[in-house]
Amino acid sequence: MKQECRKMNRREMLTLSRNGFGAIAVMGLFGSCAKNLERYAANAPISIIGQQPHYLPKAKSVIFLYMDGGVSQVDSFDPKPRLIAENGENPYQKFKVDDTQFGNVGKILKSPWDFKQYGKSGIWVSDLFPKIAECVDDIAVIRSMVSNFPEHTNANYFLHTGSGIQGRPSMGAWINYGLGTMNDNLPGYVVLDGGLTPPGGLDNFKNGFLPASFQASILKPKKVPVPNIIPHESTSQEQIRKLQHVERMDQSLLGKVVQSDQISAAIDNYELAFKMQSSIPELSDLSGESEAIKKLYGLDSEDKHCRVYGTQCLMARRLVERGVRFVELTCPNTGFDRWDQHSNLKKGHEANAHAVDQPIAALLKDLKSRGMLEDTLVVFAGEFGRTPFAQGKDGRDHNPSAFSIWLAGAGIKGGTVYGTTDEYGYRVIDKPTTIHDLHATMLHLLGVDHIRQTYHFGGRDIRLTDVHGHLIKGILS
Amino acid sequence: MKSIYLYMAASFILVLSFAQCKKESSGLPEMVDFNHHIRPILTQNCYTCHGPDSSSRKANLRLDIREGATMKLASGNRAIVPGHPRRSSILQRITSDDQMLIMPPPESKKQLTPYQIELITKWIDQGAEWKKHWALVPPTLREGQESTIDDFIEASLKLQKLHQNDKADHHTLIRRISYVLTGLPPSLSELEKFEQAALNEIIDYYLSSPHFGEHWARHWMDLVRYAETMGHEFDYEIGGAWRYRDYLIRAFNQDLPYSQLVKEHLAGDVITAPRLHPSEKFNESIIGTAYVFLGEGKHSPVDIKQEEADRMDNIIDVTSKTFQGLTVSCARCHDHKFDPIPTTDYYAMYGMFESARASPVGFDRVDEIKSITPEIEQINHKLKDEILKFVEKYSPQDQWVSSNVLGDFRDSDFDGWIPSGFAFGEKPMFGKFASSRYFSSGVKGVLRSPNFIIQDSFIYAYATGLKSSIRIIVDNFQLIQDPLYGSLSKTLNDESWKLYQMDVSNLIGHKAYVEILPGTYERHAYNIDSTSYIEVQSVFSTNNRIESPEEYKNSIVLDAQAITLLEKKAALCDKINEPSFIMGLQVGEKIFSPIFIRGSHKQLSVEKVPHEFHSAIDLNNFETENYSNSRLAWVEAVLHPDNPLTSRVMVNRIWHHIFGRGIVSTVDNFGLQGSLPSHPELLDYLAIKFVEEGWSIKKMIRQILRSEVFQLSTKVTEHNANIDPENIYLASFPLRRLEAESIRDALLASSGELDRQLYGPSIPVHVTEFMNGRGRPESGPLNGKGRRSIYVSIKRNFLSPMMLTFDMPIPFSTFGKRNTTNVPAQSLIMMNDPFVHEQATKWAEKLVARTDLTINDKIELVYLNAYSRVPSQNEIEEATVILNEYADERSVTKWKNYCHIIFNTKEFIHLQ
Repeated sequence: MKQECRKMNRREMLTLSRNGFGAIAVMGLFGSCAKNLERYAANAPISIIGQQPHYLPKAKSVIFLYMDGGVSQVDSFDPKPRLIAENGENPYQKFKVDDTQFGNVGKILKSPWDFKQYGKSGIWVSDLFPKIAECVDDIAVIRSMVSNFPEHTNANYFLHTGSGIQGRPSMGAWINYGLGTMNDNLPGYVVLDGGLTPPGGLDNFKNGFLPASFQASILKPKKVPVPNIIPHESTSQEQIRKLQHVERMDQSLLGKVVQSDQISAAIDNYELAFKMQSSIPELSDLSGESEAIKKLYGLDSEDKHCRVYGTQCLMARRLVERGVRFVELTCPNTGFDRWDQHSNLKKGHEANAHAVDQPIAALLKDLKSRGMLEDTLVVFAGEFGRTPFAQGKDGRDHNPSAFSIWLAGAGIKGGTVYGTTDEYGYRVIDKPTTIHDLHATMLHLLGVDHIRQTYHFGGRDIRLTDVHGHLIKGILS
Repeated sequence: MKSIYLYMAASFILVLSFAQCKKESSGLPEMVDFNHHIRPILTQNCYTCHGPDSSSRKANLRLDIREGATMKLASGNRAIVPGHPRRSSILQRITSDDQMLIMPPPESKKQLTPYQIELITKWIDQGAEWKKHWALVPPTLREGQESTIDDFIEASLKLQKLHQNDKADHHTLIRRISYVLTGLPPSLSELEKFEQAALNEIIDYYLSSPHFGEHWARHWMDLVRYAETMGHEFDYEIGGAWRYRDYLIRAFNQDLPYSQLVKEHLAGDVITAPRLHPSEKFNESIIGTAYVFLGEGKHSPVDIKQEEADRMDNIIDVTSKTFQGLTVSCARCHDHKFDPIPTTDYYAMYGMFESARASPVGFDRVDEIKSITPEIEQINHKLKDEILKFVEKYSPQDQWVSSNVLGDFRDSDFDGWIPSGFAFGEKPMFGKFASSRYFSSGVKGVLRSPNFIIQDSFIYAYATGLKSSIRIIVDNFQLIQDPLYGSLSKTLNDESWKLYQMDVSNLIGHKAYVEILPGTYERHAYNIDSTSYIEVQSVFSTNNRIESPEEYKNSIVLDAQAITLLEKKAALCDKINEPSFIMGLQVGEKIFSPIFIRGSHKQLSVEKVPHEFHSAIDLNNFETENYSNSRLAWVEAVLHPDNPLTSRVMVNRIWHHIFGRGIVSTVDNFGLQGSLPSHPELLDYLAIKFVEEGWSIKKMIRQILRSEVFQLSTKVTEHNANIDPENIYLASFPLRRLEAESIRDALLASSGELDRQLYGPSIPVHVTEFMNGRGRPESGPLNGKGRRSIYVSIKRNFLSPMMLTFDMPIPFSTFGKRNTTNVPAQSLIMMNDPFVHEQATKWAEKLVARTDLTINDKIELVYLNAYSRVPSQNEIEEATVILNEYADERSVTKWKNYCHIIFNTKEFIHLQ
């Protein structure tokens, strides 16, 4: 297949997409996003600024469920009976123990949770995630993930940007750079902020050296999800009138300078900004969702954090429905410092799992029943795993040498377990899988070849996967 | 002479071939030029495997040099036989139908176009001449060459058949000059004053405005990834960062020669005659070195050596891009794939910076310190007996010091330790102990050991002091704290002599040095007050645990006379002691770094790399060994008359800031992957002129602003747009959006809320409910106290959303050229941000208060404030219509809405 950047004359594109505020006022589009929805249903996705995919994509969108702090693999998706047998013994007598972040190496620690087999595939899942467990036949678990960094900040940058250094473009930015948006009323990369900003800060979600338009828009799961989205004017008519004046003055400037892409583009931006004032609040307005759906997602839960995460998951579905390419969910603050249980593993993991288990299962089921799971890739991952031995008495330290993540949806072979760790779940012994491999696979499912997608910066062509990355073929359908 | 001739020819061809860019598809250039035509093809398609990097070279073939490309290969063929395309095997390979033979290979996903193949063929036919990369040949002037900027511009316009625009009107030019030079719109009084003024007068006025320094300092801050915190997990403060910002503003305002700016950045701590602040008399030069430590900082890295390597990499990246326009950090793991930069160049710089030490550096008044020294000596003499009484009684026991001695100060010198600052004087007190009270407590200075490899589990210091510190700096790691590294430092707050233990058992085998200093670190920010001091008799390491003898407790009780004398010293030092400091460089021990094989600090080469300057740059009569300090040598190499990059890179940056695009558009990369100059001869002309005129930045700017091309209107004609859509040849002045800082400043200036005060600590950034994360600071005021944007704090993890949205770079590395984006978030800020609305209201209130003015007068005032021009009759009518729409509203609301409309117009945020 011949590969070429889709070349669209910018001027043509701008002219095509421009209606102007006059048009908006006349058509009465303000406040009615249902029409947009119909339009997306009727039209094939359009690429506004991106390039055409390298090959036929399986996925249109990605929902990235980011498990901040590092879920313990041996307590979730990677059962290790040997930990039960050797509980309380000295790990130094069993295997070589690497330096850990906090140095306080304790005894071998069995999982406080039982594991059971679920579904046709019989995948083992611990009692931490009873509801996700019901969906295992749609899930491919990778038990052989490795990371390069044993501490949060760099590991987070690595997971999000493919590099441990601050300031590189995030995967969501790369995906939008590569594919463009399918919705001109919403940004293409959205982070739904559950309350916890990961160590490393917002740079996990930034555009880095890519143009700023590819950075994430951070939405909170509440009524006003982004800054500056609520007009100060008392009525929308008043704002429209104002913007019409602005536009008229701008057009006369345009007349004076004769030609300016810069100014035309700035004028056009006002249109999207204006539309976002309605499309974003509409997005977070869940009043149109049925009670059954709300219940499914746990919006009636007694657990406040479950309600927050349930709202995030439901908003994620709504975003994907509206053509947003990349949606990431950060965790709600359950008061246990993310999944980072250096002590009090049982309580901390339980609180975190309870907040996310039902909403995630609901998301998978809801997407499936709407036929959306076919072209939506769902990824569940933290930045690293945890040690099979205790930190102190009842915690676990960071472990970048082995951890579990899972993927579901578009192009994923459900009911799969991929890769193997040693008998302690401490190191990978089969099919080690890197963050680069994960990125390569995500891009692949979106129709993008991670080797060919480059951006020239600082003297070289840079990729999300740097010079690494292989497809994880064993999990693809 | 011959080489000059060659270069003339080369640059002429460059001009020509740019002209032919468009036509290339229809025909080949008369003369194929290596630099312009061939090298870009080879760089893009071949050098990854056949370039300068030997580690990835295939078939032992390299195409970046003539010898490599023309030698006999193992196959018996020669890739290139000059003058004989048919005998050159490269042509068979690039035209082959065989998937096994075709080059570039299919898996590289690269393919040459038929046109590129024809170019290569013709070039070989014409003799296959290799040329040095243009940027590595020193700038040259052709004899009888054009002599003004406009001559060069017009010559290339003519070649392109472009028609130069008319001059912009007077008001547009006032506004343009004001923004380009100060980042601010002209004030009303300036507009009035300049109504009839000549442009030269206006240019000189804004060049000498104190706001000039603010605007151009901000440009420079983009290069050195300026920030006031370290980012990472807790966003710790970088102590004194804003003082470096003020230093830059002063430097640009007083037109510090660029050569001096370079010198102070790289070696401000070691230059022989440091520059003193004109009124405050402190050492200015040393502040330049603070740029080194404006990067990120990480606490508790598991691999401390890796952390050092990452920090060094950032320093090398910033330094080489900023001063030389080279991407040296590409040579961290392997020789540069494209540029002639071997890994040895990288590790030469690595060693150079590894040899320097981070230090809080005081702003002490050097001359006054010297003037009080005799009196201090006298007082010290009087104190001697009283103090020695205690010191001799409580001296270290011999069995301690017979361990591994790192420093014993019971002698006439510091035992090889290096003092910096003034605190410790030049030798131990009375030949018995090192004391930071040589002058008095509260005086800044550090005493540092030579480097050593940690061999024992514990390091002990026998010491006394108040609010002072002993720190073990392992692998140049500064952010000492728990977990992992808390045991590497001790805070002293006890006037008795005792042993302080530092546990280094986890770091045996690492490189380290010890530093002792008055003052403490709190959340990694250095603090010192007038009572801080430290005194040390010895420092040693051992594997044994040792306790201070019980009877040493409360070991010092000075008599009243001694206390009076100490107070007298303190009073004397009161005048010399400025509490301010920066984190700057100090000389350490010279270290030559090995090469990290494939970038890994766990795999080191046997040989170490001396601190030589970049090997690709030939400098006559330059030997690094002739300099006492490698950083000084580096400075001399950068400023050497044969250095082809320094002046070009800087004048190109200046050009970039004036026209929005550099003559070389990749302003931070003059290497092979960078873009070619649009006006090579002009670039050389400016570069030479810059050096001739004493590296004066203001003179260079003045010359450019006085040119006709700067004064052209922004109008774009159909004719010109068709030929040169990107306006590379400057037939018109490029219209552009204002920078983030200027947009905010313009909002404040228009509303009359701008506080024009210069300098000082940063105003805390306004933190919104959308800015979260660890280390979240307290929010500053919404309007930043009305101060210019450069004074709003830059916290890595809490950057101002407005600044970021309008493309202020994230401070991680050198960013000589900002992005200019168009995102709806920008429109949303102007439409709905409370700050914008607040300023519209303030503006309206002022207008309404002017009861002396008619409505038309007020509209005119708005236009002058916002656009620096008077409205046309039409515009006045239009404004009246708008205002009438709000007729029934309160006056302030009405005007507020009107001002808000003005803020949202594109004319407001664009520079014409």
